[in-house]
Amino acid sequence: MDIRIVHFYPDLMSLYGSYANVSLLRRHLEDLGCAVRVDAVRPGQDAELSDADFLFMGAGTERSQQAAARDFARFGPAVKSAAADGTAMLFAGTAMELLGRSVTAADGTQFDGIGLADFTSVQGSRRYTGDVYGFTELYAPAAVGYINKCAVISGVETPLLTSLNMGFGNERECGPEGYHAGSVFASELTGPLLVKNPLMLAAVLSAVYARRGQPLPAELPSYPYEEQGYAITAQQLKLRSESKH
Amino acid sequence: MRKFLAILVCKLGRWVGRLIGKGSSMPGQAALKICPDILSRVTLPAHIIAVTGSNGKTSTVEMIAAILRANDKTVVYNEEGSNQIEGVATMVLTHSNFSGTVKADVLLIESDERYAAHSFRYFHPTEFVITNLYRDQLTRNGHPEWVYNALKPAIYPETLLVLNADDPLSSCFAIGHEKVKWFGMDEIPGDTHAPSGAYRDGAYCPVCKAPMEYDYFHYNHIGAYRCTGCGHQKPKTDYTATDVDLDSGRLTIDGDVSVQLAFRSIYNVYNILAAYAACRECGVESAAIAGVINNYILKNGRMQRFTLGAHRGTLLTSKHENSIAYDTNLRYIASSQAPCAVLVVVDAISRKYFTSETSWLWDIDFDRLNFPHVREIFLAGRYANDLAVRFSFTGIPGEKWKSRIFPDIREACAALAEHGDEELYVVTCFSDRDKVLSQVQKEAM
Ligand SMILES: [Zn+2]
Repeated sequence: MDIRIVHFYPDLMSLYGSYANVSLLRRHLEDLGCAVRVDAVRPGQDAELSDADFLFMGAGTERSQQAAARDFARFGPAVKSAAADGTAMLFAGTAMELLGRSVTAADGTQFDGIGLADFTSVQGSRRYTGDVYGFTELYAPAAVGYINKCAVISGVETPLLTSLNMGFGNERECGPEGYHAGSVFASELTGPLLVKNPLMLAAVLSAVYARRGQPLPAELPSYPYEEQGYAITAQQLKLRSESKH
Repeated sequence: MRKFLAILVCKLGRWVGRLIGKGSSMPGQAALKICPDILSRVTLPAHIIAVTGSNGKTSTVEMIAAILRANDKTVVYNEEGSNQIEGVATMVLTHSNFSGTVKADVLLIESDERYAAHSFRYFHPTEFVITNLYRDQLTRNGHPEWVYNALKPAIYPETLLVLNADDPLSSCFAIGHEKVKWFGMDEIPGDTHAPSGAYRDGAYCPVCKAPMEYDYFHYNHIGAYRCTGCGHQKPKTDYTATDVDLDSGRLTIDGDVSVQLAFRSIYNVYNILAAYAACRECGVESAAIAGVINNYILKNGRMQRFTLGAHRGTLLTSKHENSIAYDTNLRYIASSQAPCAVLVVVDAISRKYFTSETSWLWDIDFDRLNFPHVREIFLAGRYANDLAVRFSFTGIPGEKWKSRIFPDIREACAALAEHGDEELYVVTCFSDRDKVLSQVQKEAM
């Protein structure tokens, strides 16, 4: 299969090793025999989204996020129709906030998201940071990661992580986190969340294949470093989340 | 009366603390409880130099102290590196007399960039050196612009800012500030015209987010930048490294002061420049500064020599969660010519806090180890697998590292002891270095 990945703002929205999500997805697709092309979109550049297989945007500072939002507005209709068409996409870190209706900055100014989902984000002067240990309806084992954000996100009805044992969710401590609907994945879990969560990567891969009307091969290559890395982090965070209660 | 009591409690606490070998911030904490504004009621020296930034603050402060003392100035500073307000209070009050006067020419403070606003509420630095601001300990710091915002309230109009002209973010502190002196580096051999590193924080202007252009890069996004939107650019420097030859270890400042580098890293050049600028602003002659720097050896032991089996080793202390500190050490290894082995250890990510956050591994430019003279690479510690995933995305041939992954640091050291005799470089953090040093024979510093 020929696969096309569109990576929005790889330099502007690049905090916490966000780019690794694209690197890893690309490798796994190539290992499945796909020919993968990654198109970077920088502010002001055009991009055709209708034939894309995967859209990605990573985390940025709040001011970079505003700059990204100004540019991303023109892609709003195309991203929404891609979502309706089942295109897989991941918006990680502060990029998640751009999918909602609006973002209110710490100084009170408000700017629009693309309105793909019906939530709103309000940023403040407090930062929510910490390890996350939680669960999703996509698979049974735990999801792990790290939150590093200053926004409270309200109005998410279909979160990606439905419950957290540890960490600040969309709007409260241990509340649900992220957004998931169909092929659209969004989470404030920072950085290489697909590296940290091999099963989340598998869910994204399935979504990429599903849009092409193909099932994922039953036999997937194994990635021992990724799996053991996840296992150790999950074990560490589980221990700590239990000691907190 | 409360002031006297606070000073007394602090001095007593310090004395007891010394006896039992404990904490440097407790006495100040007690004093602040008794008299919260004690720091605004003391009489401080004419010069109060504060130093902050993501990298190099300890080295810069130590160098400033050495230069000033060699020039017969009395200096009080937080040598124990306790750099929040409690530590600052301990230092000030233990060095004051009972009427609250600190008898010294200079009060020198290494300040945590996030707590400076709090520490400097009650008194303001006369000179404020900011070495740089970039990705560092993001689990606590959020991101560099967040740190910038936190530091901004610590800056008062009467303070002279001593800023790094080559850093696009910390240079923004000069916007709307009258009293600024700049240090920086002219183009030098080894500069690049394309950016390097795993990420590009110099791609967009920190002021307006328009694309930036560079005449040259010294390292990562540090260099001569120019915004295509608002015009934010590297300013003209007041204190300038005009000739830097890292191979021979020579540095010329302002075209006439020659310095021999004890540690040949571009990093060290910036620390020297920052210290030079601060001391010049305190009235020390340039030749006198150069004399001290030429005989100066870094005290804080970032490099420790040792033997492990047939290997002679060097421990290069980095900071976890600080990709530029790692990049600097990797650059150092890359520039060494002799065949070598490298051990990278990530076990406890933070000294003080538990976290499993490993995103920062993706910000480190491990491809800098992709040279033939780097023969083999050992990855060790609890997060050895995460390191392995990261290494699988470098161009480094798998046979150099794939069979050398050790979650147990002792096993990694044992394997090294049994095998090979190349130079060995260990790259790790303060939080993990003793786990390696306990397995080797240290050489006297
Ligand atoms: Zn600009």
